[in-house]
Amino acid sequence: MLLRVAIVIVTTAVGAGTYLWWTTSAPTTSLKPIGEIQGQSSPLQPVRRDEPLTVTLYYPFDGSLATGSLAVKRQPGAQAQAREALAALFTDQRSSQAAVLKDVKLREFYLDASGTGYIDLAPNRQKDLRASAAEELLAVYAMVDTLAQNFEEIKQVMIILDGKEALTLAGHLDLSRKFTKRTDLVRQ
Amino acid sequence: MIPDMRTLIKLLVLLILALPSGAAPAEKTLTVKGVRYFSYAVFTRIVFEVESAGPYVLTKADDGKSLMLAAYDMPLVVKTQLPTIKDGVVSGLETREDAGRTVIFVRLDAAAGEAKDFALRAPDRIVLDITRGTAAAPVSQPQTVPSQTGKSVTVVLDPGHGGKDTGIVTAHGMEKAFTLELALAAKKILQKDPRMNVVLTREKDKALSLDERATVSNVSGGSVFVSIHGAPDPVTRVYIQDLLEGPGATSARPASGDFLGFEAGSEQQEMLWGKQQAAHALESGVLGRSLARQFGEKGNADSVQAPLAGLKAVDAAAVLIELGITKDRSKAAEAIAKGIEQYVRQNR
Repeated sequence: MLLRVAIVIVTTAVGAGTYLWWTTSAPTTSLKPIGEIQGQSSPLQPVRRDEPLTVTLYYPFDGSLATGSLAVKRQPGAQAQAREALAALFTDQRSSQAAVLKDVKLREFYLDASGTGYIDLAPNRQKDLRASAAEELLAVYAMVDTLAQNFEEIKQVMIILDGKEALTLAGHLDLSRKFTKRTDLVRQ
Repeated sequence: MIPDMRTLIKLLVLLILALPSGAAPAEKTLTVKGVRYFSYAVFTRIVFEVESAGPYVLTKADDGKSLMLAAYDMPLVVKTQLPTIKDGVVSGLETREDAGRTVIFVRLDAAAGEAKDFALRAPDRIVLDITRGTAAAPVSQPQTVPSQTGKSVTVVLDPGHGGKDTGIVTAHGMEKAFTLELALAAKKILQKDPRMNVVLTREKDKALSLDERATVSNVSGGSVFVSIHGAPDPVTRVYIQDLLEGPGATSARPASGDFLGFEAGSEQQEMLWGKQQAAHALESGVLGRSLARQFGEKGNADSVQAPLAGLKAVDAAAVLIELGITKDRSKAAEAIAKGIEQYVRQNR
């Protein structure tokens, strides 16, 4: 009888010990370094995956591009993260009512292995896209700079309409080329 | 076991499908499915819409009175009615059998000048531009009288937008009307100088593609091209073509097969439409500065580089000027004319 009691006590103690060791040694939260999410290595700054990522938004304002911070939902991988930042450009109150940007919708964003980002836009079917050359230039570079300045994986940007290559957006700018980031349009 | 009627029919259908058809594989042809044409003041454009890309040959008849379009190394098939053209440059189109092959003859009139052909994709088409020669210049085109001090200069003014493309619409009117008004007023001022031959890409409310605007400039021998646009804000901006090519610029080399009639990578393919402006970067910069100074408050006013779809195929010093639609139009036209005159005086 005593032996049985001893076996039960030992088994219970071993079980409880194993449980305590298991719960204390397992990670309490899924921490990931910010660099891993952005495609860089930054092991010194661990952040929670559900914390927002702060990006710099470039948006047309008074004849040039203004900049502002914007917190966006963290996404796994550069393509999804860049898409999140770009989508914010079309919804943020600072940029969403700018000429051209207010008349198009973001259909999709792709990033290929060479670092070319493809912005696929859908023009608003209700009316023709009308803008001055200055407005068109700023709208295009608001998208290009928001992507290329925040994500070093994006080297150049191509803009397509409804999934196809297009000649121009509002009749002035040449969409057959790839755009690289441009700082001379940014308000100093 | 006797199969029922439905099974027998199925077996028969399968047997028919399995039998060799005996037909030879479809022969590759260059098939013309549509022909359009446009008569402009300085040239006539004929567009041959083809079903799919294929090599072609364009030759001029020995007597110089017609151009002959034929497929290269494959039959030419014409599936459409050829339009009737009689505009002083082209006197007719007809299909003929010549040495066992089909050829489209483009009959040229006495006023026909040089012919240039381009093959373009999406949709696949062969474009033939025939200039109006000097023999019968249109009435609307001013005759240039060179002055004693210098040779004549052709200035092309391009009123932006037109037709269905209204441009921006404000309480002060539509951009297409604003640009035409400015261009006509600037033309009037410039023509006071007998050295100036002023050509407008459009003189009325008419839609033109960007390529058509560039073609008007190129075939009229323009040295200066000014595309006039309007903006809702009062700031005047002058743009020149941004020729800087980023690491992945696509304009540097055409994709394989961009030119229908030529082998990929051939010398002809290198002559890609849309690269003409590259040869005029410096002149365009000087023209841009000359115009910007007319509007800038400071002495160091300059132009802005931008990747402009409407300038890349222009074979001349070229700028796009965008003026506030609320501006005093006669003063704006004077400033445009003055900027052009200064550029011509100093550089031509």
